[in-house]
Amino acid sequence: MSTTTAGGARRARPRSWAKLTDMVSRWAFMAPAAIILLAMLAYPIFYTIEISFSRFDLMTFSAIEWVGWENYLHVIDDYRFWSSMKVTLVYLAFALPLQIVLGFGIAFLINADWRGRSIVRALFIIPMVVAPVVAGGIWRMILDPLWGIVNWLMGLIGLGPLDWFGDPNLAMAAIIIIDTWRWTPFVILIATAALLALPKELFEAAEIDGANWWSMLWSITLPLLVPIITATFVVRWLGAVKMFDIALAATYGGPGGATNVINLFIYEEAFRSLRFAESAAMAVIVLVLTMVLTGIFLRATRKLEELY
Amino acid sequence: MTALALQPSRRRSKLGRRVRIAAGIVACIVFLFPVFWMVLSSFKDQRDIFTTPPTLFFTPTLETYIGYMQRADINRRLINTIIVATGSGLLSIVAGAMAGYALARIKLKGATTIGVLILLSRGVPPIALAVPMFLVARSMGLTDKHITLILAYCTFLIPYVMWLMRGFFLALPKELEESAMIDGCSRFGAFFKIIVPISVPGLLSTLIFSMILAWEELLFALVLTNRYASTIPVAIAGIAGDTVNGANWGALTAVGTITVIPVVVFALLVQKWLIQGLADGATKG
Repeated sequence: MSTTTAGGARRARPRSWAKLTDMVSRWAFMAPAAIILLAMLAYPIFYTIEISFSRFDLMTFSAIEWVGWENYLHVIDDYRFWSSMKVTLVYLAFALPLQIVLGFGIAFLINADWRGRSIVRALFIIPMVVAPVVAGGIWRMILDPLWGIVNWLMGLIGLGPLDWFGDPNLAMAAIIIIDTWRWTPFVILIATAALLALPKELFEAAEIDGANWWSMLWSITLPLLVPIITATFVVRWLGAVKMFDIALAATYGGPGGATNVINLFIYEEAFRSLRFAESAAMAVIVLVLTMVLTGIFLRATRKLEELY
Repeated sequence: MTALALQPSRRRSKLGRRVRIAAGIVACIVFLFPVFWMVLSSFKDQRDIFTTPPTLFFTPTLETYIGYMQRADINRRLINTIIVATGSGLLSIVAGAMAGYALARIKLKGATTIGVLILLSRGVPPIALAVPMFLVARSMGLTDKHITLILAYCTFLIPYVMWLMRGFFLALPKELEESAMIDGCSRFGAFFKIIVPISVPGLLSTLIFSMILAWEELLFALVLTNRYASTIPVAIAGIAGDTVNGANWGALTAVGTITVIPVVVFALLVQKWLIQGLADGATKG
């Protein structure tokens, strides 16, 4: 490494050589991840796009002929696709707000200052690490109309029995309940950490000024929590659009497609009906929609954070 | 004067605290109940499972475990799941931690773009990857192999590890590697000799989360494996969907318990890190 100004043409080669090795050593850190992600993430996406514009030949199992938007037109004409999109939308519209509200609510409860706080918080990890497919299966047993414990408990207070998996609306409710059970603990854990990080002095000052509990919640706690709430919402949204395991294990999309979320529908179309081209088109539509909505949410959260 | 004025509100807040604690405990019990019920039911014999009212007291039996483990190929699936979870966890922690370090500490042209791309990759629906992966694996004769599943899991694990470790490395003092590099260490030397050793707790817990995510994955496992490399979640999906033979709750609860227990143990071991990681992942992610 020479830093003298004597430089000139003679120095140019070693310096550019050093620059090159330096650049290689910088990018070498990125290389393994980049190679795997290019091969396993970027390439499959492009391949999906290619299939979505092609006729798929089941003899050779490959895309053979460019057909333009034909597969997309088929998908748009398919009422099952739209009903599946609607199902997904209903699930998201109920499950996400429910999980956020419940999560922050329960976090507020368990954050009361007492000895068992950290134990209770740790216990909430347990539902969160139950495999979604196990969660779906277990809840299918718990909600069983004949032998399930939930219907028995409801019978004690004179309700039910409800046919959770036979009625379309109840089946959707069951899916939302199971997903909420599995994911609310995630929100609780984030929310408890966020609540603990709030500056205590603000609340003490407000209390001295005679602010009551309700006004403190609305004018101090919530505004301070806005960035966390929005971030949690985005993370949860990114997880929830991938909904698959729970619906597969608990209802398999039934009854009559009432819980057939879009990922399950595409899976069935591709791997049961072997309609790969249409499935690819649907996957591309879902991909684009997810990206656009995620972009909108990210922008909206930024706006919301600026407001507070 | 102020002390007097504060008294009623303090008493009320004391009562409020008790109510909060009680409600929090009730919520916790409600959330734990399904897991408790699963573990309990796995020790019941068929007669005790199908009762009204559901029984809490019965003579525990290992019948379902023994019977089901012998009939189904659960053992092989367990081994497969361990291989795949460990393999994809290790691969993604190495690749992801290095990339996370590059994002945090090395000035790279286009690092922001890469960061945005990683974030975007979290929005890719796995089904959009599963179709082409299946087709490519099939044409290359790579279906039903551990390595295929391991690489497939890297698609969601590497971005996850990168993001968590990036946050972790950003929090480390810069002087650490600077002094090492002045002492003549190369960039790699500084990373592996200085940064990695002090990051072991963070790396280990990130590895554990990654392995949990791989352990539970269903979609890729369904699509990319069939007999030889099939994992436990696939078996559970099969048992849960097995409506032809009636509800097979004994098997479901027994296999479910076997799947959940090790994960719960590991998660509780690293719970402090898990909570921290979640909070960071949400706020910085």
